[in-house]
Amino acid sequence: MTTDASASEISVSDGTSTVEVKRPPGRFLRVVLRNRKATAGAVILLVMVFVAAFPGLIAPYDPQATRFPPNLLPSSAHLLGTTQIGQDVLSQLIWSTRLTLVVTLVVSVIATFLSMIVGVTAAYAGGITDRVLTLVIDVFLILPVLPLLILLAAYLPPGVSSLIIVLCITSWAFQARQLRSQGLSIRNRDFLVAARVRGERPLYIILVEIVPTMTSLLAASFLGLAVYVVGFAASLQFLGLGNSGELMWGTMLYNAQQAAALEAGNPWWALAPGAAVALLGAGFALLNYAFDEIGNPALRPVKRRRRARASA
Amino acid sequence: MPEPLLDVADLTVDYLTDAADVRAVDRVSFTVGPGEFLGIVGESGCGKSTLLFGVAQLLSPPGEVTGGQVVFRGQDMVRLGREELRHIRWRDYSVVMQSAMNALNPMKSIGAQFKDTLEAHGSMSAGEIRQRSVEVLKLVGIDAAHLKSYPHQLSGGMRQRAMIAMALLYTPQLVIMDEPTSALDVVAQRSLMSKIKDLQRDLGFAIIFVTHDMSVVSRYSDRVLVMYAGQIAEAARTDAMFERPLHPYSRGLLNAFPSVRGPRRELVGIPGAPPDLARPPSGCRFAPRCSEVMPACLTRAPELFAVGDAEVRCLLYAEDVKKAV
Amino acid sequence: MAEARDSNGSTVGSNEPLLRTVDLTRHFRLGGMLEAKQVLHAVDDFNFVIQEREIVALVGESGSGKSTVARLLARVYPPTRGEIYYRGRPLHRLRSRRALFWYRGEVAMVFQDPFSAFNPVHRISHGVMRNLILHRPELSRVERQHEAERVCESVGLGPQMLTRFPYEMSGGERQRIGFAQALAVRPKLILADEPVSMLDVSIRAGVLNMMAGLRDREGVSILYITHDIASARYVADRIIVMYAGHQVEAGPTETVLADPKHPYTQLLLSAVGDPREKVESISADTGEPPRVINPDEGCRFRWRCPRAIEQCAQVTPLLSPLGSVQVACHVAAAGSQDSSTPASTASITKS
Repeated sequence: MTTDASASEISVSDGTSTVEVKRPPGRFLRVVLRNRKATAGAVILLVMVFVAAFPGLIAPYDPQATRFPPNLLPSSAHLLGTTQIGQDVLSQLIWSTRLTLVVTLVVSVIATFLSMIVGVTAAYAGGITDRVLTLVIDVFLILPVLPLLILLAAYLPPGVSSLIIVLCITSWAFQARQLRSQGLSIRNRDFLVAARVRGERPLYIILVEIVPTMTSLLAASFLGLAVYVVGFAASLQFLGLGNSGELMWGTMLYNAQQAAALEAGNPWWALAPGAAVALLGAGFALLNYAFDEIGNPALRPVKRRRRARASA
Repeated sequence: MPEPLLDVADLTVDYLTDAADVRAVDRVSFTVGPGEFLGIVGESGCGKSTLLFGVAQLLSPPGEVTGGQVVFRGQDMVRLGREELRHIRWRDYSVVMQSAMNALNPMKSIGAQFKDTLEAHGSMSAGEIRQRSVEVLKLVGIDAAHLKSYPHQLSGGMRQRAMIAMALLYTPQLVIMDEPTSALDVVAQRSLMSKIKDLQRDLGFAIIFVTHDMSVVSRYSDRVLVMYAGQIAEAARTDAMFERPLHPYSRGLLNAFPSVRGPRRELVGIPGAPPDLARPPSGCRFAPRCSEVMPACLTRAPELFAVGDAEVRCLLYAEDVKKAV
Repeated sequence: MAEARDSNGSTVGSNEPLLRTVDLTRHFRLGGMLEAKQVLHAVDDFNFVIQEREIVALVGESGSGKSTVARLLARVYPPTRGEIYYRGRPLHRLRSRRALFWYRGEVAMVFQDPFSAFNPVHRISHGVMRNLILHRPELSRVERQHEAERVCESVGLGPQMLTRFPYEMSGGERQRIGFAQALAVRPKLILADEPVSMLDVSIRAGVLNMMAGLRDREGVSILYITHDIASARYVADRIIVMYAGHQVEAGPTETVLADPKHPYTQLLLSAVGDPREKVESISADTGEPPRVINPDEGCRFRWRCPRAIEQCAQVTPLLSPLGSVQVACHVAAAGSQDSSTPASTASITKS
């Protein structure tokens, strides 16, 4: 790497040559665009976000309106039919996107944040703190979820808030171990020793020196968690732990099941939200492939260019 | 003149990446005769390790050989398929890597790894395997009891010796070594080099030894290649090169070595940095750092000129003799 | 140059050295709670002084304890035993955060590996600025910027380097910035842990010359830790050789190199390569690492020493004066007439 002329006059710039590396944000975008899976995932998520942001533009009817004939099969007026009490299934599906997505994102953010704080603190502090925190992580990992849920369901009012609480409690521990491992692996890197030697406070070191080096891992954790949350939230609501009045795909599944939609002859009432859940989960999972590639250079595609061979 | 064991001609290795295409090795040619010790010297980024990987057919994407030949015992290795390569690998040539801890399997004992290697490249009975394993350990000065040891139980010096022993399992004619001593302390280094030289004298194999440490090759090699920015800067017999280095870079390297013995000289380095190989400069690649740069150096890229027995890539020698073929 | 006690309660008179250690020791426990007690003696009874405006080289191979000494002096971890006196103040008495912080502004560290010494997500200016913010709070923002540029220039780099990311700089440039970072706190002492070991040989001279310049121009003392005794010659006023956690020899650089008294120093010097030399020195010594786990009494070099006597296995030799140097060797102390020529006597000629 050649330095500027002005620098080379005063400086004795020296050492090894380096290849220019594109700055991280630009690199992420390039990877997403180049990796087909990631692109597909990004597209799905963007569509979902759009639907969540502007449901009024797409949905044909008011989702709560019960003025339609009940239990209709799909027709041109009602593409997915109607519910037992006469609501348009398609409108419900579209309007449910917002709350579903919000809940997913809120839980993923909180859980990722929790796992990051606990995991990195455990790694950095070491000693007793590490042992205690690891124990806490392990306890939460082995919590039997269903019994816990039933217990909580008895005490917590059904609804989105309870759902969020329950999901956060049961999902934060997964990534905490992994983040702790990552923290351990960089704990003795010279730049962290340097920060200690210059007298930085531990909290500063964790937040400013360690966490920023883990952004790829955190993003991948977040996306992986989101996949889990999407499915699990729907499952919980299907089991009746949600509030059937709230508009979410999971509650649609619950309502459909309560009305025995499959038997009653309108399977779309149940299948549509199920497919939506699967699609959203797939969107997160596909986008996650981008981080596989960023994290592991060996997965990057190799240019297949045939250069003319120089004659021997 | 006897047929060379290895004849590398115009070897070119490129790294084709998204960010840039980098020509890490640019038309390098050299030969190695039977039993010869060739040292390849250069600093970070000069391409010496890439060259070695290119010769040993160990490159993986995004690096690939994009030109030239590597003729070993009459066959161009670049054009050989995997199966054919497997036949000659380890039997006719073997490789010793820089860090034993990277090359040895930490989960297997030394003896088990020898056995794996022997079985991968030939067929021997269990008894023959054991006998050969003991033999090679003895060659490098390790007690046979260590066949049961795991890599982490051996010291750094012993691990490197075990690597060399592994390379000699089939007594190949050529052993390629990538900085095998750089992870060792200076006393262990000297001991290992001495052992390598003894083995070479006794068993007669040729060595290509890649290193950044000139002092290691100055004592042991027959000939030396100095590499800079992917090209050969100077190629000469070792004693001649260290007596009177021709290329300003070789001279600079030699002068940069602090000496413990003799009078205390001023320590002089080479200012600047090697060029970015993604955008190689026109003209001589060393010109920006050269103390003897001439105006022509900035525009004309020098070829290798023959100066007696040696070859130098420097315009200082352009008028002297006819160009090297 | 004698001063009365300054506001920090320290004295630096003409008699009091900048930094002094007394029996500095650091052990590490190996193994878990249920295993047999294995204690690694990284450093034992390390006694040394360093004055102002001085470069002292601490030379040793792997397992010698030199890096541990650096980390003890930087207070990365506390000593198992022994004391460190900085400007007359004992460090173990510094309890308050403020006092410890003061020490961190006096003694700075430079690391070996230019690739891991900088946080890859921050610009190079980050470390320099943090040092300025933490340890020179009297500076305004503008003054800080000027100071950052000044330290950059004092290590031979242009100020525009500050805006770069680590991956945009070469190894040599990064090492220089490491020194700039250290200089930002205006330290009296820089602990340089193998600062040039990972740089190309042609680059080392520049950084070593820069270090000597820092001593002369900025008045900073440097503890130069290295395994390369040849580079120590060019930069250090005094040299200390370590083996297996002990000091074995100490003295003025040229004296020790010209006439080494300790067999280990002799071995080390004989093994150092010089491409300009033709002569090949040979030794049976294979360079096996020293034994520092649960060591017993006696000299730790005795298994490799060609001149070991009975006393070497019984009594641990202490660093004691011998002419103008200090040596920890019974044989050397007993008969200085035995002492060798600079070429290695730990060598045997091969037939």
